[in-house]
Amino acid sequence: MTEPALEARDLIVRRGDRKGRFELDVSALGLFAGEVLAVLGHNGAGKSTLLRALAGLEAPAAGRIVRRANGPVTMVFQRPIVFAGTVEHNLRVALLSAGLSRDEAEHRTRESLERFGIARLAARNAATLSGGETRRLTLARAFALRPAVLLLDEPFEDLDAAGQESLSLDLRRAILETGVAVAVVTHDLRRALLLADRIAVLESGSLVQCGAREAVLNRPVDLDVARIVGMSNLIAGEVSATSGDGICWLEIDASHRIPVSRAPAAGTPVWIGIRPEHLKVDVGRGEGIPIGKGVLRHLVSDGVAATLTLDWAGFELRTHLIAGRGLARTLAPGDSLTLSVRPEEVHLIERR
Amino acid sequence: MTELTWPLVGEITARTLRMAFFSLALSLSIGLPIGILLGRSHFRGRRAVVGIVNAGMGAPPVVVGLAVALLLWRNGPLGGLGLMYSMEAMVFAQVVIALPLVVGITLAAVGALDSDWDLQARTLGIPAAWRAWLLLREIRLGLLAAVIAALGSILSGVGAVLMVGGNLAGETRVLTTSIVMFTEMGEFERSIALACVLLGLMLMLSAVLTAIQQAGRR
Repeated sequence: MTEPALEARDLIVRRGDRKGRFELDVSALGLFAGEVLAVLGHNGAGKSTLLRALAGLEAPAAGRIVRRANGPVTMVFQRPIVFAGTVEHNLRVALLSAGLSRDEAEHRTRESLERFGIARLAARNAATLSGGETRRLTLARAFALRPAVLLLDEPFEDLDAAGQESLSLDLRRAILETGVAVAVVTHDLRRALLLADRIAVLESGSLVQCGAREAVLNRPVDLDVARIVGMSNLIAGEVSATSGDGICWLEIDASHRIPVSRAPAAGTPVWIGIRPEHLKVDVGRGEGIPIGKGVLRHLVSDGVAATLTLDWAGFELRTHLIAGRGLARTLAPGDSLTLSVRPEEVHLIERR
Repeated sequence: MTELTWPLVGEITARTLRMAFFSLALSLSIGLPIGILLGRSHFRGRRAVVGIVNAGMGAPPVVVGLAVALLLWRNGPLGGLGLMYSMEAMVFAQVVIALPLVVGITLAAVGALDSDWDLQARTLGIPAAWRAWLLLREIRLGLLAAVIAALGSILSGVGAVLMVGGNLAGETRVLTTSIVMFTEMGEFERSIALACVLLGLMLMLSAVLTAIQQAGRR
């Protein structure tokens, strides 16, 4: 395993004001070259504080930030900040002040503006750009410095869905081409998933989980993380009995049971978590094990995905379909559907 | 009876410009850093300081003149310097009047910047001297507003200048004080002539400053 480009070790940052005290406590967190770490958490969980600490803008009360990369650590703020002058000037001033020659500064300015699709705006006054163009300018300016580490605070704020998607594609490509280590902070799971290779979750100042994207999405360590990473089907149960027929069944009550890949000891209180995309409706037997019928209560579609709210004999469950295709076109509230899950896609969280 | 000749008009105008130049230069070199620091920092008592600056922006020049006169008077705290009725005394009073204007307008211009402006510049690795230059560029409209306001109050001020300068011929007689003097003597033609010079001066300077301020706006 390669060493992280930037790493927080036993980091404690304290912030206090009249309203109260806040402590950020991160024992170990690393950013790796060419990889995007998405930091998720509710408002006030300490996401921005962590980012500022990694940028060296917050003095830690304990622990340290270890920099191994040769190259600048730069940050792009949530509210995009541009300097008075042209688009080119914004990049050039950062490059020239770093001691680069005029030719080199010019070359990198061009390259970076092209990378973010705003080369045609080079001579424009930066103050006259649209929201999306301003975001692109702040990113182009950061990339022009050829940073080893890039810290992004809510990079998709105020952009519409199409703008988020196109910017995430350009950003993703720029990260791959430059091999920069990236941390991106956001409170919006969908925006995080546009970029994330790894996910870290903060809860009231503490790092509660950090790992590969799929691991965190599918195996959250607690109920809060489960909610933050979008595991919206959560049912409180107790391992009462596990029965055979080749599958391990977890009984929730007399009429509900769910197949699991392995069950803890009988009597253990658990949360049963199923990601919406893992709950299947009306599919062939090969794609999951049926768990009973669900009655469709609501169907909400944004044109891309349709979210179904189903009543599984007293429990509310959600799943997603692709909008305007197959089942999603014909379904109506009141329809009864067969629900299926795969045992390995049912996640159990111990209830304390 | 003072004869108003062209050389005399020239001499009075030159003295006026000299006084304005030194007063403005001092006000800006003291007021800009204070305004920038006050606008970008948080400390206990900042509000009180800002309150004093705001009050100072509206301070009556005559009161400032009295205060400076009391300071510079033979038996006053600074009496030993022997500055009363001198060019230095006039510049002193003008700076006291113009400084709050410079600080107040700079403060407002700097305060309008994003609170993360410095941090963004720092995380781009931009060194302090470049950051200061970028900051001045950022607030250049406010900066020129401060210059115009300060220059206006310096050129038009008469109360304080008269009190601490004394309108001494060949020493502290400037355009405004001579206009007051000729009017009191009933010499309206001379007053009007000098008033035209003062007005012309003011118009010329504000035309130049406006041109600078509006240049590069697209």
